[in-house]
Amino acid sequence: MTDSGTADLDIERCVTEPIRIPGSIQPHGALFVVDPESLEILQAAVGDDDAVASGAAIQGARLPDLLPPEAEAMLTGIPARLGSEMVQLGTVRGREAEHHLLAHRTQDGIIVELERAAGAEPGLVAGTFPNVRGFLEGLSRCSTISELAALAAREVRAITGLDRALVYRFDENWNGTVVAEDRNDALPSYLDLRFPASDIPAQARDLYRINRLRLIASADYRPEPIEPALNPRTGKPTDLSFSVLRSVSPVHLEYMRNMGTGASMSISLMRGDQLWGLISCHNKEPAAVGYPVREACDFIAQILSMQITALEGGAYAARRAELQSVAARLLANMAASASRPAGRFVEGLARAESDLLALTGAQGAAIVTGEDMVLLGRTPPESGVREIVSWLADGVRDDLFATDSLAADMAWGERFKEQASGLLAISVSQMHASYLLWFRPEVIETVTWGGDPRKRAESDGAGPDGRLHPRTSFEAWQETVRLHAVPWDQAELEVANSLRTAIVDIVLRQAEELAALSDRLAASNRELEAFSYSVSHDLRAPFRHIVGYAQLLKKFEGEKLSERGNRFVDTIIESAISAGTLVDDLLSFSQMGRATLVPVQLDLAVLVAEVRRLFEHVEDGRTIEWRVGALPHAFGDPMMLKLAVQNLLENAIKFTRGREPSVIEIGGRETEDEVLFWIKDNGTGFDMAYVGKLFGVFQRLHRVEEFEGTGIGLANVKRIIERHGGIIAAEGKLNEGATFTVTLPKRRG
Amino acid sequence: MSDLKPILLVEDSPKDVELTLAALEQCQLANTVVVTRDGAEALDFLHARGAFEGRATGDPAVVLLDLKLPKVDGLEVLEQIKNHPSLRGTPVVMLTSSREERDLVRSYSLGVNAFVVKPVGFEQFFEAIRELGMFWAVLNEPPPRGTLG
Repeated sequence: MTDSGTADLDIERCVTEPIRIPGSIQPHGALFVVDPESLEILQAAVGDDDAVASGAAIQGARLPDLLPPEAEAMLTGIPARLGSEMVQLGTVRGREAEHHLLAHRTQDGIIVELERAAGAEPGLVAGTFPNVRGFLEGLSRCSTISELAALAAREVRAITGLDRALVYRFDENWNGTVVAEDRNDALPSYLDLRFPASDIPAQARDLYRINRLRLIASADYRPEPIEPALNPRTGKPTDLSFSVLRSVSPVHLEYMRNMGTGASMSISLMRGDQLWGLISCHNKEPAAVGYPVREACDFIAQILSMQITALEGGAYAARRAELQSVAARLLANMAASASRPAGRFVEGLARAESDLLALTGAQGAAIVTGEDMVLLGRTPPESGVREIVSWLADGVRDDLFATDSLAADMAWGERFKEQASGLLAISVSQMHASYLLWFRPEVIETVTWGGDPRKRAESDGAGPDGRLHPRTSFEAWQETVRLHAVPWDQAELEVANSLRTAIVDIVLRQAEELAALSDRLAASNRELEAFSYSVSHDLRAPFRHIVGYAQLLKKFEGEKLSERGNRFVDTIIESAISAGTLVDDLLSFSQMGRATLVPVQLDLAVLVAEVRRLFEHVEDGRTIEWRVGALPHAFGDPMMLKLAVQNLLENAIKFTRGREPSVIEIGGRETEDEVLFWIKDNGTGFDMAYVGKLFGVFQRLHRVEEFEGTGIGLANVKRIIERHGGIIAAEGKLNEGATFTVTLPKRRG
Repeated sequence: MSDLKPILLVEDSPKDVELTLAALEQCQLANTVVVTRDGAEALDFLHARGAFEGRATGDPAVVLLDLKLPKVDGLEVLEQIKNHPSLRGTPVVMLTSSREERDLVRSYSLGVNAFVVKPVGFEQFFEAIRELGMFWAVLNEPPPRGTLG
């Protein structure tokens, strides 16, 4: 019977076993449940009656009346000061030996236990002091947990004189690994072996958290039943959680026997209020460990617990501090790129690849924002990351998800084992499925179990006794663990989470800033519109008036003026007209930016042909050689594009003036997502040093006497093309010609 | 001569008034030109009320209307003319400095008969006025009153 169903059954039964109310005690002492006021005995189990009056009726008697006379003083008055903590009231002299008189308060009454003191049992201080002192002195030389554990194992075994002392540490799944051991040859070594979680069931672990020390003096003991079974005051069995004589599960005794141990003692190691591990001692033969010795061991265990807490806490704090400084660098990077217009936090993260990986000790990372993805280090292929992201998005998961075995969590996840056996993911924005993912590769690990964990329970459910039996073999058994990565530690998870918060803040801040910016932009657009409206009405009028009056002057008074005077008037007229034209050009430029775009699919060949017709008249007296190649279709506003092409052709004609022949070449092509067309001439060209000025408003590269114009044409073209989401580029060489290339995006969808 | 209807010029800028009058003069149109300096005055004239109560001259052959006017602006005057049962037949030419699309669209939607952006050069302006004046004042007789709705 090695199937896992059996193991589950075993755990299930153990979990339901009433270990706190076993109804019996180990027989090496006596237990009495007494009334807190009258000390009347409510329940009793007498295994060792050395100090108990023989032949007397127990139930209903007053406990001091059954014990040696010195007990009277110890027991009287205890109700006032006794708490739930175990107290040693003193020792009483039985017929054969000394007995410790121990008491603690429970809801069911006061539990008084008598436990025989060992023959040469040391006193608490005198006997155990050298070992405790040795332990305390040794602490300062220990800088690691394994050194501490080894020291504790040595001292505990020395005090108890048992055959073997182990320090046993739980992992996150409650499997335990032996991290330190001190022993003689009576029992085999368990060092480095791992024991399955089912060896110590959950309700036992719960009990170990509150009752720190358990002793089983003999694996072969016959339990002494408590009489009566139910507490007459409560009608229920009495809770023995804190009793030193509490009887244990028969399954556990069988486990001990299978392990070849006759006696065991275990002491809880706590980290804060969590069970960290155990100091577990075994003896081949049954053995008593006296109360003072147990107290000393408990003391050592408590010191060890504090040291572990401090060391792990320190290591955790150091790791945290280290990661936080990495996080701070990352955030600074991110904030720097986020504060630039159009900058995105992703760029800041992606640029700091090594920091991003160091943050969680990952070997690969992916930054996924909606459609975009950046992969860093060792990661699954993009399609794989997409799959993981959609798996994350589909499941209802927290903002942070971490696993050290993706294969165990995600169907077909083992495909990514080489890069992503470990996955740590934070969700940055649910709306756009934005995630930051870190990956760790598979690390194949060999685990040596204390016995084949697949045989953790041998149940002979079909057998005559119908009981569960623990496994019988503790032979080292090696297992190869695959599809697992090094688990993410607490500090890494926390820093990932705080990074998430920071990113969310930055993203939110960006969104807010963007909203504020677009408000300001809208306001300034409104102002600009009002301004240009007023310019169009108010600035044009004076120019019109100047021209009008000057022309009237010339007409009516021209004859009275000298030739020089007439020339002055002509200059006034000309200047005012050119100023007026400037205003008109400026206004049309501003309108270009505001006019609504109505894009359609259009044939550039047709558009160019239409525009060319406008220039037929200027070709008079000039030889213009047109070379128009095939032109693609484009998606744009016909009026606007026509204006742009018109401007470009106008320029080409203007700047080829004087060339014989003027050659103007128009061509185009398309790519998968773009349409390109260009207009090339053999005109006066320009110096590439000034290419940056070419598209500026009122920027001119030629003197006005050479080539007329206000310098707004190309600014208009640029604005039109940019409003279409396209770009325009110019290339030229002085006196050789210029080429203007327009690139327009193809229609989406 | 006296049965020639007047031209109503609505213009607030004295310079534009003078220049327009000079242009009209050169067109040698026989029509008298009535000048009003804001929208309210223009409406008073059109409705023969206020200062123009019992005016001698008849309804205008054409209204040359500036867009930007004090008190009641050009678009509003246009709207009132085109919404008035007896005035709606009067041709209105919008004269404006504006090249604003929205003014143009609004003017046409209100039923303007022509829209002239005052050119910077006087000669062009003169040409425009001459053509408009000739067309609307001389050639284009408005329909007789009352036949339009």
